[in-house]
Amino acid sequence: MSDGMTRREFLKLALLSAVSPRLLAACSGRSKPSVNFFNWSTYIAKDTLPDFTRDTGIKVNYNVYADEEEMFAKLRSGAMSYDVIVGTDYMIDRLRSFNIIAPIPPGALKNRKNIMPIFRHPAYDPKGEYTAAYLWGTSGIGYNKNKIPKPPDSWRDLWSERYAGKISMLDNARDCVSLGLLLEGYPETTTDEKAYEKVKHLLIKQKPLVRSYTSSNYVDDLISGETWISMAWSGDILQALKENPELDYVIPREGSYRWVDNLCLVRGAPHPEDALRLMDYLLQGKVAADIANTVRYASPNAAALPYLNPKLLKDPRAYPPPSVEKRLRFHAELDPVTVQLWDETWSEVKVS
Amino acid sequence: MEPAVRDAGVEGERTSRAPGKRSWDEPLSWLVVGRTPLASHLLLSPASLWVLVLLVSPVTLLTLLSFAKIGAYGRILWSFSLANFGQIMRPAYLWVIGRTLVYAGATALICLLLGFPAAYYVAFAADSKRKHLLLFALMLPFWTSALVAIYCWLIVLGREGLINALMLRLGILSTPFSFLNTPFSVILGLVYFYLPYMVLPLYAALEKIPRTLIEASHDLGAGGLKTFLRVILPLSWPGVASGAILIFVPCLGDFLTAEFLGGPRTYLLGNLIDNQFLAAQNWPLGAALTVLLMGMLMSGLYFYGRVEVEETSRV
Repeated sequence: MSDGMTRREFLKLALLSAVSPRLLAACSGRSKPSVNFFNWSTYIAKDTLPDFTRDTGIKVNYNVYADEEEMFAKLRSGAMSYDVIVGTDYMIDRLRSFNIIAPIPPGALKNRKNIMPIFRHPAYDPKGEYTAAYLWGTSGIGYNKNKIPKPPDSWRDLWSERYAGKISMLDNARDCVSLGLLLEGYPETTTDEKAYEKVKHLLIKQKPLVRSYTSSNYVDDLISGETWISMAWSGDILQALKENPELDYVIPREGSYRWVDNLCLVRGAPHPEDALRLMDYLLQGKVAADIANTVRYASPNAAALPYLNPKLLKDPRAYPPPSVEKRLRFHAELDPVTVQLWDETWSEVKVS
Repeated sequence: MEPAVRDAGVEGERTSRAPGKRSWDEPLSWLVVGRTPLASHLLLSPASLWVLVLLVSPVTLLTLLSFAKIGAYGRILWSFSLANFGQIMRPAYLWVIGRTLVYAGATALICLLLGFPAAYYVAFAADSKRKHLLLFALMLPFWTSALVAIYCWLIVLGREGLINALMLRLGILSTPFSFLNTPFSVILGLVYFYLPYMVLPLYAALEKIPRTLIEASHDLGAGGLKTFLRVILPLSWPGVASGAILIFVPCLGDFLTAEFLGGPRTYLLGNLIDNQFLAAQNWPLGAALTVLLMGMLMSGLYFYGRVEVEETSRV
């Protein structure tokens, strides 16, 4: 693994200046402390980072991604030099195995105790060494009430001929293959080839009805009427709902998955101490609540509860009540062989 | 006359000098004499390095990668196998390749049909002031970012977009029509981007046709249509061929247009490669597809080269 590290270091040095003049400026100006943060797009409150800079004097170079696989491909090639990144549950083992993230020094984050117990030792990081839960959400169905008056209650509605050409699906293996396995009655960890044949068949059968596979434009499409019904992430719909009350979100009766996004420390981070200060700041109850109130994904932070918007906290679409929670499961931890089966299944669906 | 005399003088000097004396007469002469003096290599070295670093080595690496395998999480295992090429020969992948060829061909054809009248007008009918203005207008879209142009098309073609609004207002449509995410929107986007590549070579070919030939045709009794079919069209063939290939070749690798304006049924080779490198993390398979694409591009360019040779030999 040390070989991979040195190559990464080398590429970093070689490409730093070419890739990001801003990062270079941040490194040369030693007098001003700074931290490089790579996050999902629209995944933070407006004042979070300015407030952090005001309180600590640490400048934050903030970059966003809209596609997690793309984020991984970039980090994998070693061309970026970030301190803190946000990674979803299923990505953690990959990031760890490519030596992209480092263990967080024990005791370095005093606000880590704020994280709710069920999010403290997840399957993807049982000892809680590498991650600090940032936000969580669910995958479900988003739809336009003007076009579909009766709320859909089954995933099978995404296969309904009635909505032919008005359906969009999230464009990633994680959501679509897991949905296929759920509907076909297999566990996520299965390595049974027959299961993946069935999933492939199911998703290819849906394809003529699907207008687009997209993880970033589907909310706009729902609003404009380009699509009526869409596989969706909870917070995306809830954010748009503020200005577009015709949208709605449901977790279908077959159940669904909940996923967790995490703060991670990058291995060989140029500013490790400032990075830890930023992470600790983001774990403060008030800060975490501001973020969750803005992006409308759920906060895994117990200290945030008193500050959460009470209306949002009561909204079953954002914080599912126990009756719905029963139908939700965390994504299972997959070994690399299974991941490859998933990726191949998804590629086959896309080319068919 | 003078340069020739000077040349002869230099030649004379060079031949008169004994070869063995060269090294101590002029210590640096080895830099500048011989069929390819060292100095020429030195002067070329920035360009050679450029080609080596930015062209030869990536292509070599990509070709090697296409024979590799993947391990855990898409880690590259350097073991030689033809499995990736076996995989892309499967029907599902061949369909994508076939579809890409059809889209590229259709784009070239539509550009030809739209571009010919435009080029004809600019070359024959427009006065020189208007000619410059039109050529300038043709180049304008090149100065906008492709992504911005695509977003504009999303606005124009959308259900709440300009075309739908206009057609609803005029009563042509009763409900908005979905133009986006269809083969139509993808071809439209491709034609929009590549049309200038057809008009410019066509214009160059038409402009070169000696006007005297057209006059002669008229003098010999041929009408407008006959002159066009028998004189102008055959002489514009090199422009048609260049334009078609200049469009067909980049269309094979285009993925942005299909990504944004297309849907599940307009998945092209460029999207497939993009998907293998990013989402599927199967770089070797992506590399094999890229090698195939490069093969197709190079045969296209080879054909283009042949046409050009033919053209110059004919002229």
